[in-house]
Amino acid sequence: MIWLAWRQYRTQLLVVFGVLGAIAVALAVTGPHLLHLYDTTVANCAKLHDCNSVQSAFVKKDTLLQDLGVAMLVVPALIGMFLGAPLVARELETGSYKLAWTQSVSRTRWFVIKLVLVGLAAIIIAGLLSLMVTWWSSPFDRIASNTMSPSHFDRRDLVPMGYAAFAYALGVTAGTLIRRTLPAMAVTLVAFILARFGELFWLRPNFRTPLKLELPLQGVSGPGGIGIFLQGPGPNDWIISEETINRAGQDIGANGGFGGNGNIGINVANNGNLTLPNGQLCPNKVAPGLGQGIRSNASSSSMGRALQECLHKLDIRQVTTYQPTSRYWPFQIDETVFFVVLALLLCGFSAWWIRHRLA
Amino acid sequence: MTWLTWRQFRVQAAVVGGVVVLLAIFLLVSGLHVLDLYHSCQAAGTCVSGQFNHTDRRLQVMLEVLLEVTPALIGIFWGAPLVARELESGTFRLGWTQSVTRRRWLAVKLGVVGLASVAVCGLLSLMVTWWFSPIDAVKQQIFSDFDVRGFTPLGYAVFAFTLGVTAGTLIRRTVPAMATTLVAFVTTRLAVVTWIRPHLLPAKHTVQAITLSNQDFGVSASSTGPIVSVGAPSIPNAWVYSATLVAKHGHASSTAFIHKACAALIKSLPGPNGVPGPPNQTAFQSCFNRIAANFNQAVTYQPASRYWPLQGMETALFVVLALLLAGVTFWWVRHRVS
Repeated sequence: MIWLAWRQYRTQLLVVFGVLGAIAVALAVTGPHLLHLYDTTVANCAKLHDCNSVQSAFVKKDTLLQDLGVAMLVVPALIGMFLGAPLVARELETGSYKLAWTQSVSRTRWFVIKLVLVGLAAIIIAGLLSLMVTWWSSPFDRIASNTMSPSHFDRRDLVPMGYAAFAYALGVTAGTLIRRTLPAMAVTLVAFILARFGELFWLRPNFRTPLKLELPLQGVSGPGGIGIFLQGPGPNDWIISEETINRAGQDIGANGGFGGNGNIGINVANNGNLTLPNGQLCPNKVAPGLGQGIRSNASSSSMGRALQECLHKLDIRQVTTYQPTSRYWPFQIDETVFFVVLALLLCGFSAWWIRHRLA
Repeated sequence: MTWLTWRQFRVQAAVVGGVVVLLAIFLLVSGLHVLDLYHSCQAAGTCVSGQFNHTDRRLQVMLEVLLEVTPALIGIFWGAPLVARELESGTFRLGWTQSVTRRRWLAVKLGVVGLASVAVCGLLSLMVTWWFSPIDAVKQQIFSDFDVRGFTPLGYAVFAFTLGVTAGTLIRRTVPAMATTLVAFVTTRLAVVTWIRPHLLPAKHTVQAITLSNQDFGVSASSTGPIVSVGAPSIPNAWVYSATLVAKHGHASSTAFIHKACAALIKSLPGPNGVPGPPNQTAFQSCFNRIAANFNQAVTYQPASRYWPLQGMETALFVVLALLLAGVTFWWVRHRVS
């Protein structure tokens, strides 16, 4: 039975492991060089007072290989489509199950052995790829060290294996229920994408109770006008939402308050009245006519002070909801366990279906 | 023949068409809301580039992913099985021995399903481009979404579809053809983005003064030390390849100069673990003034006016590739597939 499963899958597995080998060679050739470059230039750039150009030069290295990070998102879906969906569906579609399930091996045994062998291969593929990409990307990750952000979190360490296990089980289940390969592949892909988005947007932010940071909102005059200075909890924390609240604690504008990205569209009337974008009138005024020169440097600092005074008098504060970067490993484990449990449930359901529902 | 093609294709066409219609209704409602927000911020004169960064953020991500993957899916699910399924299941023996020649058979199938592919991607791109139009108008960075707006998705769809048909014809088995289609499509797209698109039209060069009003100029504390950055100039909707500081009077290294000129500002920054706060305004201004007095910025870029020519050229490139592949498929079906 093990031999049969190997015979059916050897071409695909050899192709996949061949590709993995090629990637490994490419990463092994370029990786040590990158690490060396990082240690000699970026690591002591502060001493050379040249972090800016050194870092921007470094992150432009091997951009094509850096795109492998995107492959980490796609590979689980491909595993589900090409290894999972045909596992049972192809046998049902071509009718070969009539022969296979009437041999001395029971159909449950047949299913479990195929499921486990190909599933292990799927998890090993995702695990090896994740290991290689995580190792190779480590110097880049130290520069852009926002580890909790989805563009890092979803592509490194353990979670790709969880996604692969889930996608694979999803493919097997879809194939068992739909009984035709191509529709099962399409359904697998759509269901996988929906599940990933759903988990990312609605479940993950609440794996652990998010922390909240409440600070008075700061107005500053910066280049090109005046703005709001948003203060995050720490540079690498995962910010889930930002709200701006007034004295009564009411939300007066999500995510940076009045405008996107910390810009404020404050309205300056000719008589010097200041109005916040939510329509609230500031208790203080600026000199009449100042609003016309709002973009010039001379007026922007006095405008900035006026804005700061207004925000202070109205007691406007920003509330940041975030997950601290110290929760990276607990979150990796939670997320992986979550998807592995889903995968096991799907596998159990498929086994039951094959045993009781398929003719 | 058209009727046969329709019969084989109608379930998939109905499913995809239904999804497109539902999405259109949803995007119409949600897009009108975004448009409303845009009109109101414009009336107040308060629109800023990040205005809609957090408006329907999840929808924004999902729409961009949708348009990025749809061409590949069309190639995989509509292109690859088109011929391969007939060859694999043996139905080509019946199909190609009727009064319809196999060339005609292929031409009609390619035409009908190919047109459906173009229609799906065209409608999706139209809807998404419209939905994003207020967001793109305030963002002023149309080139960053070059692949998921306008005509390019159509070119990708035509190419992916034909690639799938060709792979299916050559490989003669559906699932391997699907995998090959995906790999070849992704490789081609990456190659065009990386090596071909930047050279389709010669870039413009300009040397300009550094001004506070159109520059991203900032200081930040990083884990490896303070960073003073003079960002690329904000040329609206331009695709900036590179922006470097060039000395007016022969100052050698810009970074060494910046570090000296901005010493007070850098000192006022918090350390790696300090609580960040607004930078010191006076130090900020003097740092900037000294840099602006001594340096210009050399910019290499594609101006906004090149957006539509580049869209047209990239789409044409993929359509030509698709026609070449279609030619190969016709020849192969005629001469090589027994």
